[in-house]
Amino acid sequence: MAQSAPDTARKYDLGFARWVYENVEGGDKLSMCMQCGVCSGSCPIGTEMDHGPRKLFMMIRAGMKEAVLTSNTLWNCTKCYRCVVRCPRGVPVTYILGGLGTKAVEMGYVKTEDTVRFSKAFWWSAKTFGRTDERLVTSRYHFSGGFGEGVKKSLANLKIALGMFKAGRLHLGAPHKVKGTKNLQAILAKAQEIEERAGETER
Amino acid sequence: MANTGPESQTILVVGGGIAGITAAVEVAETGYDVILLERDPSLGGRVTRFARYFPKLCHPTCGLEINYQRIKKNSQIKVITMATVAAVSGQRGNFTVTVETQPRHVNAKCTACGDCARATEMEVPNPFNYGLDRTRAAHLPHEHAFPMRYVIAPEAAANGEGEKMKAACKYGAIDLDEKPETFEIKVGAIIWATGWKPYDAAKITAYAYDLSPDIISNVEMERLAAHDGPTGGRILRPSDGEPAKRVALIQCAGSRDVNHLPYCSRICCLGSLKHAAYLREQYADAEADIYYIDIRAHDKLEAFYNRLKADPQVHFIKSKPGHIEIGDDGRPVIRGEHTLSREIYETPYDLVVLATGMEPTAAADYRPPVELIQDEYGFIVPDDGVDGGMIAAGVAGGPLDVSMSVQSATAAALKAIQAVRGV
Ligand SMILES: Cc1cc2nc3c(=O)[nH]c(=O)nc-3n(C[C@H](O)[C@H](O)[C@H](O)COP(=O)(O)OP(=O)(O)OC[C@H]3O[C@@H](n4cnc5c(N)ncnc54)[C@H](O)[C@@H]3O)c2cc1C
Ligand code: SF4
Ligand code: SF4
Repeated sequence: MAQSAPDTARKYDLGFARWVYENVEGGDKLSMCMQCGVCSGSCPIGTEMDHGPRKLFMMIRAGMKEAVLTSNTLWNCTKCYRCVVRCPRGVPVTYILGGLGTKAVEMGYVKTEDTVRFSKAFWWSAKTFGRTDERLVTSRYHFSGGFGEGVKKSLANLKIALGMFKAGRLHLGAPHKVKGTKNLQAILAKAQEIEERAGETER
Repeated sequence: MANTGPESQTILVVGGGIAGITAAVEVAETGYDVILLERDPSLGGRVTRFARYFPKLCHPTCGLEINYQRIKKNSQIKVITMATVAAVSGQRGNFTVTVETQPRHVNAKCTACGDCARATEMEVPNPFNYGLDRTRAAHLPHEHAFPMRYVIAPEAAANGEGEKMKAACKYGAIDLDEKPETFEIKVGAIIWATGWKPYDAAKITAYAYDLSPDIISNVEMERLAAHDGPTGGRILRPSDGEPAKRVALIQCAGSRDVNHLPYCSRICCLGSLKHAAYLREQYADAEADIYYIDIRAHDKLEAFYNRLKADPQVHFIKSKPGHIEIGDDGRPVIRGEHTLSREIYETPYDLVVLATGMEPTAAADYRPPVELIQDEYGFIVPDDGVDGGMIAAGVAGGPLDVSMSVQSATAAALKAIQAVRGV
């Protein structure tokens, strides 16, 4: 039986590794990776990842752009930094995964990923109050997929919520805030401005 | 520069391991006077603690014994044990070196009869076996020691035990009042052959060396396999003395690692292949798993690698493990990613051997008291020295195996002769 040639033009982008090197935070250290496996072997949730960091880094070298930017490894990473501490080559694994995630969202590769929605809810709380309010982050995340899904998810988590409430881990009433949320927002706005400016000079 | 010419034709060798011994013998047999200083109570350095040598699996004592005969026959070699260099001044052709000695409390009258050891019950950790067992406070460093002379631990000399030993010695060889000494010597060239020490496995915290006696380092594995070691040469689990049948050998433990030793020690892969061979010789049903990043068996040593690869009970796993935990049954469990299949494994073992690398002595516990050219890891750059009067030999100059150490020692001998002849 005749086999059709693999669609390499679409699946392999041979400039991808260079692009990661130039555009992703920590990507310039990627060339140090020696594929030893310490990162994936150390990762507490390595079994929950489709590829894990080591293989993902090899896929970057191979130019598998789409597969990399849609990988759940970017989202299942808990940012525990175990891999960074142990990597024998000083590769900032966690930063690279985070940086790739940011790019994947910007470039529209990720739309429905749960972790993205959770990250957005988390950031909203951090930005608005200077704190994460468990109750508000969770409900914002639960309802980010529509009303029906929100009710369903909230009910499913009721038992956990009650447990947390009893343990004094979930408070009701006005959310905790840092002093001077206005200052915080000014700082964040400035940071955003600097980042955008840096982005422009790069281009 | 005033051309005064060399004032001393004597060559000093610091360190009496295989490299220092070779350099000393080569220099002396060419007709020059040589002083060989060794910090330990006997010569031989690290290789005396090995069960066997790769790749031929012959016994280190053979080669050492031949060298000891050459030393004994040659009146131009003066060996000073328990001695080190405290200061150096001068230049090529004309160095003044301050030597510092520690008391052995046993003089040349010793016949190695062992009466002193039998006179005491006191024990001290056995440095020869890396503290895996204990030895009498008066002891022979090991059974092939050169010089063949007992040594008394300082703590025993100071308390009443020393008197018991002294009373037991029929030859009047024990001197409890011996003190550390310093004296100066004049030499024309110095060969630094200070060798290496095993990288401290406890620093690799993820590998849990401190959490289980069944997680050992490669140098300890050599002692387990050696006939004069703590188990009489049987590979037994240190925790319960049972034969170790499922053994993991972890390569690059703390090597090629920016958090530990950034370089490759070059010999640990062959060392672990040798350990797999020891194990397979002892137990027909034993299995060894070698965890590796890449196996570095250079040049002709690849034949030894191929020999082990052909053994179906030696498995090669391409993975640097993430960490080791202690299982519910007390056995060490290795966790990591199999990089060829991307599977996460968690495998329990009877014994785990960490292949730790060689750290230059000159970067670890002895900084030479003189300006030397050292690379970023502390190895002394072998050939030039600051003015050509100081040369490195063996592992002091870089991570080498025994045959390469011996070659570098012969090269160093020639350089030293050139220095004392002013060429
Ligand atoms: C686990 C393991 C297994 C190995 N197995 C093999 C093998 O099978 N075959 C092989 O070819 N190679 C093997 N090697 C390599 C081998 O150990 C080295 O090549 C060899 O020890 C080098 O000898 P050396 O004389 O340079 O150093 P050393 O053996 O370290 O000797 C240095 C000597 O200098 C002395 N010294 C240090 N500082 C001072 C000082 N300031 N003053 C006076 N004296 C001092 C020390 O006490 C020591 O006696 C192995 C290495 C390891 C880690
Ligand atoms: S631990 Fe570091 S060198 Fe090893 S595979 Fe991961 S990123 Fe690469
Ligand atoms: S930081 Fe992320 S990838 Fe690294 S070990 Fe933790 S969870 Fe795994």
